[in-house]
Amino acid sequence: MAPPEPEPSAPVILGVDVGGTFTDAVLIDGGRVFAGKAPTTPEDQSAGVLDAIGKVLAVAGRAPGQVTNFSHGMTVATNALLENRSADTAFVADRGFTDLVEIGRQNRASLYRLQASRPAPLVPPEKRIGSAGRNGPEGEITPLTAEDVRHVVERVDRLGVESVAVCLLHADRHPAHEAAIGAALRERFGDSLHVSLSHEVVGTFREYERAATTEVDAALSPLLSKYLGRLVKACSEAGLTEPAIMQSSGGLTSVENAAGHAALTVLSGPAGGAAAAALVSRAAGAPDLLCFDMGGTSCDVCVVEDGMVRETGGKSIGGHPLALPMVDIDTVGAGGGSIAWRDSGGALRVGPRSAGAMPGPAAYGHGGTEPTVTDANLVLGRLSDGSELAGRITLDREAAETAIARLAAELGLGIEQCAEGILRVANSEMVRALRVMTVERGLDPRRFTLLAFGGAGPLHATAIAEELGIERILVPVDGGVFSALGLAAADRRRDSVRTVLLRGEAITAAALTELIGDADEVSWDLRYRGQSFELSVSEPSGDPGRLRESFESAHESMYGYRDEDAQIELVTVRRRYIEPGVSPDLGAARFQEVEGPRSIDLEQATLFLPEGWSARGHAGGLLSISHSKAM
Amino acid sequence: MGLKPASPESRPDPVEVQITAGALASACEEMGAVLVRSAHSANIKERRDCSAAVFDSNGEMVMQAEHIPVHLGSMPASVAAVADREHHPGVSWFLNDPFAGGTHLPDITVVTPAFDDRGRLIGFAANRAHHADVGGRLPGSMPADSRTLAEEGVIIPPRVLDERAIAEVTSLMRQPEQRRADLRAQIAANRAGAHRLAELAALKGTEELGRAMDSVLEYAENRTRTRISEIPDGVYSASDKLEALDGDLDLKLTATVRGEDISFDFTGSSAQDSGNLNCPISVTASACYFAVRVITDPDIPASAGAYRPIEVVVPEGTLLNANAPAAVVAGNVETSSRVADLCLRAFGHALGQGTMNNVTLGNDRFTYYETLGGGQGAGPDADGPSAVHVAMSNTLNTPIEALEIEFPLRAVEYSIRRGSGGRGEHRGGDGLVREVEALEPMEFALLTERRRHRPPGAAGGEPAAAGRNLLTARGTDRPESLEPKATGSLNSGDRLRIETPGGGGYGAA
Repeated sequence: MAPPEPEPSAPVILGVDVGGTFTDAVLIDGGRVFAGKAPTTPEDQSAGVLDAIGKVLAVAGRAPGQVTNFSHGMTVATNALLENRSADTAFVADRGFTDLVEIGRQNRASLYRLQASRPAPLVPPEKRIGSAGRNGPEGEITPLTAEDVRHVVERVDRLGVESVAVCLLHADRHPAHEAAIGAALRERFGDSLHVSLSHEVVGTFREYERAATTEVDAALSPLLSKYLGRLVKACSEAGLTEPAIMQSSGGLTSVENAAGHAALTVLSGPAGGAAAAALVSRAAGAPDLLCFDMGGTSCDVCVVEDGMVRETGGKSIGGHPLALPMVDIDTVGAGGGSIAWRDSGGALRVGPRSAGAMPGPAAYGHGGTEPTVTDANLVLGRLSDGSELAGRITLDREAAETAIARLAAELGLGIEQCAEGILRVANSEMVRALRVMTVERGLDPRRFTLLAFGGAGPLHATAIAEELGIERILVPVDGGVFSALGLAAADRRRDSVRTVLLRGEAITAAALTELIGDADEVSWDLRYRGQSFELSVSEPSGDPGRLRESFESAHESMYGYRDEDAQIELVTVRRRYIEPGVSPDLGAARFQEVEGPRSIDLEQATLFLPEGWSARGHAGGLLSISHSKAM
Repeated sequence: MGLKPASPESRPDPVEVQITAGALASACEEMGAVLVRSAHSANIKERRDCSAAVFDSNGEMVMQAEHIPVHLGSMPASVAAVADREHHPGVSWFLNDPFAGGTHLPDITVVTPAFDDRGRLIGFAANRAHHADVGGRLPGSMPADSRTLAEEGVIIPPRVLDERAIAEVTSLMRQPEQRRADLRAQIAANRAGAHRLAELAALKGTEELGRAMDSVLEYAENRTRTRISEIPDGVYSASDKLEALDGDLDLKLTATVRGEDISFDFTGSSAQDSGNLNCPISVTASACYFAVRVITDPDIPASAGAYRPIEVVVPEGTLLNANAPAAVVAGNVETSSRVADLCLRAFGHALGQGTMNNVTLGNDRFTYYETLGGGQGAGPDADGPSAVHVAMSNTLNTPIEALEIEFPLRAVEYSIRRGSGGRGEHRGGDGLVREVEALEPMEFALLTERRRHRPPGAAGGEPAAAGRNLLTARGTDRPESLEPKATGSLNSGDRLRIETPGGGGYGAA
């Protein structure tokens, strides 16, 4: 008998997600999913990454050289931005407009705290350079001479910076001046200077958002480039393939592209969770999800519609606007560690202050004395006394009770009443965020399934669902490796976004076909002439009549009317090039159906089922939780 | 003195009050989201010059979304103007008459009653939006030199808002299509708010919702009282000048703190202005409420309960409590800022730029309205921020690229006006410079303040630089200095340059 044909080797896929406390690694190997975990190493995240990889490979019995695909989500750019760390950077703008980023949109940070300031500018005034030459909406008004370019290069040289951001007015559509300055800088300084040009980084109009994004890109890229350099070196020494890096858009890109454009990866970490949400949405046959990731200090929410994570064309992160495609994630300051307190009007408040990981909730026994959401859950028996959390923390119910008793006395409430109040107030904060998030986007939360994950998500899921009128909840059995799983299965993507501003008759089939080019997906930002906000519609055909119809029907559903007489304007085209990722078989969670009230310990979290709710195993490694309607 | 000794049974439930406050704030935020999303004009969508609030069935404002401070204290007057009428489900009211619940004509307020499932009135949803044009003599309806209300646009006394009313009033305005779309967006926003109130009533029960609203009002009141009681009892006073068309006007304040109450008495301020700097009393009160929030606790919810400890005294028929048919367009945008300043100054604050620097440009083809940021006053612990809106406004700018694409204008400069903030231990914020060139003939109107009198510092800090309005005719390089309130025309190639004031310094340098 002839030996059996050797099976073509199945891909061995590795995903590594760096979180605040732990770095998680997931290996998908022939339909089986393995997990490994190591403490995050904030001074150099690559050490923790390699540790976690070592662990997961050991569990799976694989050698580094056998990994075929490696995807990585990290928080290097995010942390640098939030901590205001950046490379020494200069900013080049049109003469008379060098303060664009500092002026911002001229609104103040807080309505009533008058001296509250926005984050300090990444580039101080003495490193802002005014350039001659000027473009208007129709093109060049004043030329940029070789002498003018030389002048800019000399100023950069004298400043001795590591990085330069260039943002000229109308460069999104008339990039020649920016390109000339960029070419001269690259020629003169080569690899010793990072250069970010606004038309390359952003490509859309509205100068403040484009300039601020370009500045972030320039200020963070040298830092990110150093980190990725260390990581690639460590991987190659370990015999691992080079990683693909998660972008804020939820798609992967090469190390080289990520290192050159740090602005693309500011939401790299949370985007992994969003990618995982899209993955389980498809695996579980639940196309519309409201995702709710509640951890120790905060809660991230995002929307999956029709199996796709909802994206936005821009968002502000830590007070810095980023005008780039990214997963549309909102963060609320409510987590397990959020501290409950009595305010001066005698009301019970929760957060935004958090006990964090150290000292953590009173129940951790690390010296925390203020009552937190976790303490309330423990006092009400939703977390069990003596149970172990991730990170080997044993919960101490007595400590939690003491902390809550003190607040209860201040408020004139019983201990249980106070604990229930803490949970109700915390839940109402999250419900408020979810409501505004859905209304702003024109969605009705009742038609969604709630996907709850993170250490504290499954504890609060049913209460949130009840408030929002949601009847079904999904919870991953192993939430700890959820984001890493999303990374492992994500697509590779490249986005190209460009403002084009075509009006009425100029929107022809030929023009649209040329704009689509060989993109795999295309969407168009349109508006009625005179409006200052655009609506994004995807219309792959490139037929002007259909494009107008798609826009008008989107406008009607969003704004309640059409304006058939008005001219339409095509403002921006968004093109995406995609190499699909793998679709791992996650299998169904094996799980006996149970009914509330009771708590269920999962791998990395505890699920609380109140009376009237029941849970059972479901495809995609999930538990499906639903309301027994017979009440 | 401290809190009123409340008996345990009358004390609001510490959990319910927080949850109700959150649910009502959420309703207001949703209304704001619907309004901004569905409006048509840049002024609402891009600059966010709008506000939303919910009221109880007595017409008391329980909660407001945090948008524009000048709307904060003046929304209740709009609801009061219609609260006693007969209400029916789905029938909204609208108004802009400054002497019957409005502020200035461009601010149109829409009020919609909310009912429970048995048809009982449970409250009102209301929102206000600054419309880019409401008719009148000049595009943009912000004339610098108006002397009667009628010159400033269409006056809408409180009336039922239906398609006929919309058609009637918008036909008297420029860009009527846009006005209609914006009004419909305002109705849609209120519908969302009224719906949310009805849901809360269904959930809690109508009586319980009423009690919960009362407890939110009391809660805001108690927090305000607690903080006022920490201010030493006594008389605090301040005076200042307002830069009117026909010369300076006097602003005078005597504030008295007694226990947990505070009163602002403006007796001694100027008589009614022959120009348009007049305020209806609701605008003056609004500025006082803003200042109290700044000097007490910025976290107190935006609820009329917080206004209960505040008394505002202004003799009728004067600048700060004007009678019809006085012109008022600058009262809301300029005088209001200076009234807030006066209150802050009485309590030892260094002052910000004290103006919104209103610029309107237009001809029969377009209207462009913009307000400009400037320096904020420094505080005892921090410098004042630069190039921001400082008091009663917090709208966004129009991006240069959007401006140049939409309008026949070219920006020449947009920068921080370095060194314009007052020196001190903490520096006042710097103002900004915005210069534009006209590419075709057009008219301009400027409503600005602090061109003659500099924003003062405090505790030994120096005053900031005053603002300047400059016009440079094409082909010359000798700018002509314009008055704080100025109207005129620009030819193609003429340049208008606004240099906004800085903020005062705090503490000796």
